[in-house]
Amino acid sequence: MNPDGLQPQVAQPSWDRRVNSSKAADRFLDRDADLMLQVREGNQACFTLLLERHRNAVIHFLDRMVLNQAVAEELAQEVFLRVYRFRLNYQPTAKFTTWLFRIATHLGLNWIRDARHEKVQERLDQEIDGTTRQVRDRNRTIEQELVYRAKLREVRQAIETLPSKQRAAVVMHKYEELGYVEIANVLMCSESAVKSLLFRAYETLRMRLAHMA
Amino acid sequence: MGWSPGTCSLEDGVAEELIVGYAARSLDPEAELGFERHLKSCSRCQRLAAQQGAVWSALDAWRPPAVSPDFDRTLALRIAASRRISSRIYAFAKWIWRPALPVAAISAVLAGFFLLKDQHTARQVLETQPSAQIEQQVEHALDDMDILKQIGLDVSAQRSDSARKI
Repeated sequence: MNPDGLQPQVAQPSWDRRVNSSKAADRFLDRDADLMLQVREGNQACFTLLLERHRNAVIHFLDRMVLNQAVAEELAQEVFLRVYRFRLNYQPTAKFTTWLFRIATHLGLNWIRDARHEKVQERLDQEIDGTTRQVRDRNRTIEQELVYRAKLREVRQAIETLPSKQRAAVVMHKYEELGYVEIANVLMCSESAVKSLLFRAYETLRMRLAHMA
Repeated sequence: MGWSPGTCSLEDGVAEELIVGYAARSLDPEAELGFERHLKSCSRCQRLAAQQGAVWSALDAWRPPAVSPDFDRTLALRIAASRRISSRIYAFAKWIWRPALPVAAISAVLAGFFLLKDQHTARQVLETQPSAQIEQQVEHALDDMDILKQIGLDVSAQRSDSARKI
C-alpha cells in the first residue's frame, strides 16, 4: 500500500522522546501540584519555588508572543499574581504548567487583540527596541553580529505575521517543547485543531524563512 | 509550498507531522529511519524537510533576553498590595457586618410584630363583618315582611269585593 514501507502506524510520529522525557516531567508535575497545594495552605516559600521554576519560561513565552520585553514582564507579573490570587480555589485536576500557560496565553492573546489597533510605527519601534535588547555575543565579530541581528529581525517579523493563535502554538511547540495534547489543553481545543494550527504556521514560516538555510 | 495530492505517497497530515517531527528531532528511531527512506524517493518531502530544518534553526537563533533583575521584587510588592487590598475588603465587610446583625435582628422582630398585628386586625374585620351583614339582612327581612303584610291586606280586600259581585 505504501511504497516507502511507512505504514500509518509507523509513520505516525510517536512522541516517545517527549513521552519519555515526560516521565521525568511527571515528577515535576507532581512537584508543581504539590507546591501549589502547599501555597493554598498558606506556604509562601512554595510560591517562591514555583516562581523560580517557571518565571523564565512564562516571560520568554510572553516575550515571543507580544514581541515586547517590558509588556511580557508586565503580563508575566499578572500571570503569577493570578496564580497567587486563585490559590485557594486551586484543584490539581490538570497539569500545573497547562494551567499556568493557559493564563499566560489568555493574557497574551488579549494583549495582542487590544494592541492590534495601535500604530504600526509603534510596533516597529518596539520590535527594533526588542532586537537591540539582545545581549551581544562577545565571540561574534561586528559583521557577524549585524548578520545575526538581521536574521533575528527577520525571524521576529515572520513570527509577527502569524495569526495570534498560530503564534502561541508555534512558541509553545518550538520553545516550550509542549506536545500536541498539552498545547490543545492550553488552547482549549482539539488535538487535530492544534496540528492544523501548527502545520499552517510552519507552512507560512517555511515561505518566509526557508531562504535562511 | 502547499501540499499537492498525488505527488507524495504519504497522506497530507502524516507527511506534515513527519516533516515537523523530523526537524524537531522528536521522531522515534523507527519512524525517523522510515521517513529518511521516504525522503530518498520523494523530492517534495526532501525539499520541505530541508525548508523546515532551515525554519527550525532560524527559530533557534531567537534567544530571549535576560529577565529584569527586579522582576521578583516587583511581583512581591504587587502581591503584598493585593493582600492589603483583600484584607481591607475583608475588614470592611466585617465592620459593616457587625452592626448589620443587630439591625437585621431588630428589623426582623419589627417585621414580625407588624405582620402579626396586621393578621390580628384582618381577623377582627373578618369576625365583625358577618354580624353586621346579618343585622342588615334581618332589618331588610323585617321591612319586606311589613310590605308583604300591607300588600296581603289589600289582596284579601280585593278578593272579598269580587266574591260579592258574583
